[in-house]
This record gives sequence, C-alpha cells and structure tokens, in this order.
Amino acid sequence: MAPEWKDLTEKFERERERLRAGGGADLQAKEHAKGKLTARERIDLLFDPGTFEELDLFAKHIGRDYGLDKRELPADGVIIGYGEVNGRGCMVYAEDFTVVAGTFGERHGRKICKIIDMARKYGYPVVGINDSGGARVTEQMGALSQYGQLFYRHVAASGVVPQIALIMGPVAGGQAYSPALMDFIFMVDKTSSMFIAGPPLVEAVVYEKTDEQSLGGPKVHGKITGVSDGTMADDRQCLEQTRRLLSYLPLNNKDLPPYEVPEDSPDRDTSELEEIIPTDQKKLYNMRRVIDVVFDRGSFFELKKEFAQNLIIGFARLNGHVVGVVANNPMKYNGSLDYNAADKGSRFIRFCDAFNIPLINLQDVPGFLIGTRSEHNGIIRHGAKMLYAYAEATVPKITCVVRKAYAGGYLAMCSKDLGADVVFALPTAEICLMGPQGAVNILFRKEIASAQDPEKVRSEREAEFMERYVNPTYAAGLQHVDDIILPGELRRKLIRALEMTLEKDEEAPDRKHGISPV
Amino acid sequence: MAEEVLAPMVGKILKIKIKPGDAVQEDDEIIVMESMKLETSVHAPCSGVVKEIKVSEGDRVEEDDVLAVIE
Repeated sequence: MAPEWKDLTEKFERERERLRAGGGADLQAKEHAKGKLTARERIDLLFDPGTFEELDLFAKHIGRDYGLDKRELPADGVIIGYGEVNGRGCMVYAEDFTVVAGTFGERHGRKICKIIDMARKYGYPVVGINDSGGARVTEQMGALSQYGQLFYRHVAASGVVPQIALIMGPVAGGQAYSPALMDFIFMVDKTSSMFIAGPPLVEAVVYEKTDEQSLGGPKVHGKITGVSDGTMADDRQCLEQTRRLLSYLPLNNKDLPPYEVPEDSPDRDTSELEEIIPTDQKKLYNMRRVIDVVFDRGSFFELKKEFAQNLIIGFARLNGHVVGVVANNPMKYNGSLDYNAADKGSRFIRFCDAFNIPLINLQDVPGFLIGTRSEHNGIIRHGAKMLYAYAEATVPKITCVVRKAYAGGYLAMCSKDLGADVVFALPTAEICLMGPQGAVNILFRKEIASAQDPEKVRSEREAEFMERYVNPTYAAGLQHVDDIILPGELRRKLIRALEMTLEKDEEAPDRKHGISPV
Repeated sequence: MAEEVLAPMVGKILKIKIKPGDAVQEDDEIIVMESMKLETSVHAPCSGVVKEIKVSEGDRVEEDDVLAVIE
C-alpha cells in the first residue's frame, strides 16, 4: 500500500468498524439474552453468503434537541442495502434495536424510503426487518412525516415488487401500519409484537390492563386478526422461511415466478386420493392431504395456517411451475366461507394476480356461512371480495370440484362463470344451486305435507333430486365442467391444463382501477 | 380442572353420545352436530369425566356455545 494511503485507510476502517458495531457489544449481548439476533446477524442469514452490500452506513441522525446533537447514533438505527437470496436480487432494511431501541427518526425513515424506492426502480423484492420501540419522540414532525412518506412508498410499490415484513421485536404505534401495507408478514414467537398503542398508553387512555403479547403477539395476529402470515419459532427459522417464500415469487410484476426443474413426475398417478376423499358425503377429510398428493412433493408452502382455517392458501409447484393454491377445508365450518376466509382468500388471489402466479382452486364448499352471526359479521360485504378477486384476476385459473360446490360458494371458489379457464370435477362432485333438503321443501311442500308418510316421501324426493341435479354429469352436460376425471388423473390433468394456459393473455378493462369491496 | 366443550360452528345438535358421569378419552366423538348440510363431530377436548351437559338433541347452537363440561 502506498504510504500516504496507509493512515487514511486505517482511519476509515476504524470508522467503519465503529459504525458497524451499532449500539455496541453490551447492548448486543442483551438482545442475544432475549433470544434475538442482531440486525447484522439477521442480514447475514437472509442473504447468500458474501452478497450483501450496505448503503448509508455513514448517514447521520437529524435530531438536535434534548442533547441528541452530542450523541452519535450509528447508521441512525437502521441498516439498508441489497444482496442476493437464492442467487436472485433482493433489497433489505433492518432496524437495529441496539441504537436507541431502533426508534424511527427522520433519517432512519429516509433510509427506509430510499431502499423501497430503489426496490421499485430496479425491480427487486424488499424485505423489511422491524424491531423498533416506535417513533423517536425527540424528532416529532421529522418522524411523523417520514411515517407518511413510508406508507406512501409501500403503496407506490404495491403490486410492483413483493414486500415482505418480518416482525422480529416490537413494532409499536403508527409504524404498525408499515407491515400492514406490505404483502406478507412473519412474526417470531415470544419476542415480537404489533399494536398501534402499547400497554402503558392503553391503560392510561382506555383503562385496560394488558401486556404486549396479549395485545398484539404472534398468537393474536396469527389466529385472531389474520395480520400475520405465520409464527416462526425463532429468528433463524423466520429468515429461513423468508428465503423459502422468496423462492416462489417473481422479482417484480413484469417478471415470471421462478421455474424449477421438478423431481416429481408430471404423470404420477394420484389414486391414493381414493383413500383420502370419502365417497360418503357426510364424512369429512383432510384437504391438506389432497394438496400434498397432487402438487410437486414437498412443495406446498402454506400461509395464514391458523387464521380462517376453513380456507387453505399457499404457494406450491406443479411440474416445476409456481402456483397459488386456494382450497376449502371441510374440517372447519364444513368448508363454508365466512367473512375471515373471504378476507384471507381474496387478498391472496389479488397478490397472485398482480405477480403472474396462476391459481389452482380446490372446491369443497357447502356455501357461504349463513345465520344471524354471519350476516352481522358482514358476509355480504366480505364474501363479495372473493367474487371480485377471482373475476378480476387475469392469470390462469384452474378449478377442481372435489366434493361440494353449492350456490354462491361454488361461484366464489372460481367457477367457469367467474372466468375459470378449465374446470374439472371428480365423480364425487356435488354442484348445484340449492341442496336437496332445501329444494325438496320448496318443490314438494304440498305433496310432503299431505303424504301418509311424509318422511318417506321427502327422502324419496331428495334421492331423485340428487340423481337428477346434484352430480358432475348434470353440470358437465351444461358445459360448466370441462371434464369429469378420476382421482388418479388429477395431478396429470391439472398440469396439462396449467401448461396449456401459461401463455394466457387477457387484458383487464381500461380504467383507473375498479372499486373492490374491502 | 374443568374444560368446556364448545360448539365448532352454528348448527343443530343431532346426537349426544355421553351422559353425566361418563368417562371420556381425549378426541372421543361425544356429540354429533349438523350444519351447512353436513354432520360434524364434536370431540372431547381432554380426558376426564362428564360433569354437565348443557344442550339437548334438537337444540340450535351458535359457534363457541358451551355444549358440555368435562372434569
């Protein structure tokens, strides 16, 4: 090294080391004691080794009041940069809890906004690692304004690049709306929480005593609110699963999801479905087992598993192609769609449509959940979202009726009329406007009432009705079903239909945007 | 310790297969309900003795109504 460079280099290396150390070894040890990794350790696990490039390490905080002009906040408590995940580009921001509790100041916000702008401009997904005590109150309007700037950018990037939020510590106050505007959220068990006001404020203002976990821990958001897409055991698992999630996603909306050469055969016989799907219509079965058999072995990546369990959603591969799976789950509410399931499903469908991911829909739905409670929960307003999302989606849509496909539920799980490209039905399919019980009561009310043995007449009329209407042959005769297939053929038929429709080119109507029910 | 058996969804009680004092094993089918055109089994949430049954066959129930208590 040239002698005049030696001093300069050493000085800069010391400076860089100092800034990279964040809040220092003692505070890092405290994070480790809580079971958390540091922001830099998280980044190392997210990216392929040696691919991360940091930006704005030298950025300085803006706050000058309350003695902050004399303090140094390394990188202003957030690390931003880019790297590769599974050999593909990705942007990141990671809040550093060791620097004034990862609080969100003006420069901190500007850094996050910058990396989201870059993600959108250059077309890469962005992963946001949240771990922050909330707004830095010493910076007031600087912080508040940057929250607004951040929300604005999430919206600008929505549907352009995938946005994934990891909750790996607290996310309190207005900042909780940042992950909410992104596409997927993972939370870490025990150490993460999300709420718009923390326990002290809740107690002071609405006089309720609570704690962080019962207010907005992973169990709350995984099961009750549906905010979270999954609870991870620890930081390491959370980052591994984020890498897996990214392996299904295109880099941006002009890209295709990554194809992987499959190990599974496209012609694999799926007759084992005969052991899973009962022909006795009153017996329940596990739809997840159907999914495991049909899609490429081990490829199903389920999201929001604990929330609205009557609908199963997730990514999978079919002969190496990424698809979005939407399937009714007869084990919960007998597969009926309620307001939460409609919310969960419609959001997922819209993500898949925005990012060129074909949809595979497995139907076993006795209808929308009915009754006073369901109506009061707004099943009309929420159920409409499923209809809207499927009708709007221009990606390939392939449906198989496994068993029940009744009334509005049949339409809401993507029938031909909602634009399905190909509809299959298994011989067990029951497709109809109204089930035999309801229909027979209307059609044969007088005959049943005047019969000597009303129950006998009722069951005879029900059997006739089933035979005539509630079967796949009737629907196929009217072209609502393209083909009736056997369980053993299901995988092969889905793959053939998917590959036939992959080049589908359907234009959405020319308008600013539709008004989706929300 | 007592554990409540909750209705998994809105519907009608078709069949009650237990009576107070019966010993049950976790996951035993103890009540059959009908809802949305299908029969739904209600299983014992834990092993124990049936302390109380709060519904009768033919009753209409809402989701999370208490059907029985197991001790």
